[in-house]
Amino acid sequence: MSTILEQKCPCCGGAVEFNTGVQKLKCPFCDTEFDITAMPEDTANQVEQISWNSQGSQWGAGETDGMSVYDCNSCGGEIVADSTTGATTCPYCGNQVVMKGQFSGALRPDLVIPFKLDKKAAKEALKKHISTKKFVPKSFLADNRLEEIKGVYVPHWLFTCDAIGNANYKATKVKKWSDENYDYTETSYFDIYRSGNIGFDNIPVDGSTKVPDDLMESVEPFDLSQAVDFNIAYLAGYLADKYDVTAEESMPRANERIRQSIIDSFKETVKGYDEVENQSANMNVANGLYKYALYPVWLLNTKWNGENFTFAMNGQTGKFVGNIPTDKKAVTKASLLLGAGIGALIYGLLWLIELF
Amino acid sequence: MTKKFVAILIAVIISLSLMISASAYTYAYIADSADKLTYGEEEELEVLAEGIESTYGVCIMVGIVDETNGTSDNEYAQKIYTDNTDNENGLILVHNDSESTYGVFTSGNAKEILDDEAVNEMRDAYNSNESYYGGISDYYKTAESLLASGETASDNAETITTDDDTSDEKDGVGIIWIPVSLGIGLLIGFLIINSIASKNKSVYMQKNATVYTRPGSMIITGSADHFLYSNVERREKPKQENKN
Repeated sequence: MSTILEQKCPCCGGAVEFNTGVQKLKCPFCDTEFDITAMPEDTANQVEQISWNSQGSQWGAGETDGMSVYDCNSCGGEIVADSTTGATTCPYCGNQVVMKGQFSGALRPDLVIPFKLDKKAAKEALKKHISTKKFVPKSFLADNRLEEIKGVYVPHWLFTCDAIGNANYKATKVKKWSDENYDYTETSYFDIYRSGNIGFDNIPVDGSTKVPDDLMESVEPFDLSQAVDFNIAYLAGYLADKYDVTAEESMPRANERIRQSIIDSFKETVKGYDEVENQSANMNVANGLYKYALYPVWLLNTKWNGENFTFAMNGQTGKFVGNIPTDKKAVTKASLLLGAGIGALIYGLLWLIELF
Repeated sequence: MTKKFVAILIAVIISLSLMISASAYTYAYIADSADKLTYGEEEELEVLAEGIESTYGVCIMVGIVDETNGTSDNEYAQKIYTDNTDNENGLILVHNDSESTYGVFTSGNAKEILDDEAVNEMRDAYNSNESYYGGISDYYKTAESLLASGETASDNAETITTDDDTSDEKDGVGIIWIPVSLGIGLLIGFLIINSIASKNKSVYMQKNATVYTRPGSMIITGSADHFLYSNVERREKPKQENKN
């Protein structure tokens, strides 16, 4: 049995949305604004639990795995969604709905960073992102559907710990001198050892398999000082997922980043050498804690030449990322033209050198 | 991208221009360790010598010294010449003022025009004037007239030779350098354009988590730097060819 929550306007009954400009819930129909705390999170009269009996053909075993069915409280339409979907829009009436069960009990996020930038800012950022890139195929620019950009709360695990580690480095010093007949180069090799502690706060690891990990790490960092205690009302107007990667499954990625941080941070204390190269490192963590948080991200998925391209914007800072296809013919043409130009320039200069 | 293109092109032009300016670098033509000339006189004579080199491509130098550090006058002349110029075509007359002796060093094409007879003529011109400034000035004037007459003779000789000889010389530079320049240009162009195109990729995994380090939390508890060993490589310096 699935339950959904709609944030209704007490004045006109319309579905309210979280407004990034005023950082409050706002009714798009009568423009009434409400504080997040003023909207009860667990309002009994806003939650309905409807059970349905199946008729006709039945789903086969395993067919409904990963799928959930909800009923819209406004129009009664049936919403079929992924089992991890936490908030979405009713495809029949456009009302914003939140799957309350996805964020209750142990699944309740500890923190949420509310969206600071709206859809308009995201569309502008996408246009700017694409316009600053070169050799973008014209058909890709033409096919882009900016309207389909969506605000999504992406689940993240945040890891806090004290790391204890040690690292070995191979370092070299190079000394050069000359006499009348020879140039000398002396290379001295050193074995460097460093050990110590470093504290880390809230290292994020993507808790959703729907959004690529590299995309989420590319829009980092988020400012967690602006995070607030989770309130389901923040999800109104956006899509949201519950995690489908557990904290335990996310730990190896956090540990990998911590280990590399130890190597890089300790390396900065190795001074006075020309080259320093890491050889080995060991690490342990103490006082490890993790939290569950929802991060605001604007996402656009688009397909070009059978290949998927996903763009993401940090909904808090505005950092925009996304790989863009390259027009290989244009690259070849530009390389040849520029190369010929530089070649002519080099030849001209050599000719001038010869002349003078 | 246009700005980057312009910046890269400017960098290429500057580096190539530096090659030109390095090749056109002017050297000291007057080596007056005996201090017989004033600064102003030296400057005037430098201008004369520079004019000759730019016109005829031959570096004419003169040295007035009190001692030759135990070497012969000719060896000392060669040392001063090679220390002060990269021009392979030139001549230096060194006057050892304390011993009243002379050393001469001639290199490259200068040997053909400024033969022993011409060198004697230049030395006589140097000695004909009572002042050092006047002597050197006459020395340069004589050198210039000898070079001018030598060039005229050479021009006349060239008119007798076939056209193929001259065209071969010009084509030699062009044919070799056209594909080389084009190859270098294409390589540079390919690298520039591909580096610009690679900017279309902006999605990467983060390498570390240093941005999430708690401020002031890093404490180094153990530190050791051990010397392992060292290698010394010796490379022979390229030697300048002795033109004599």
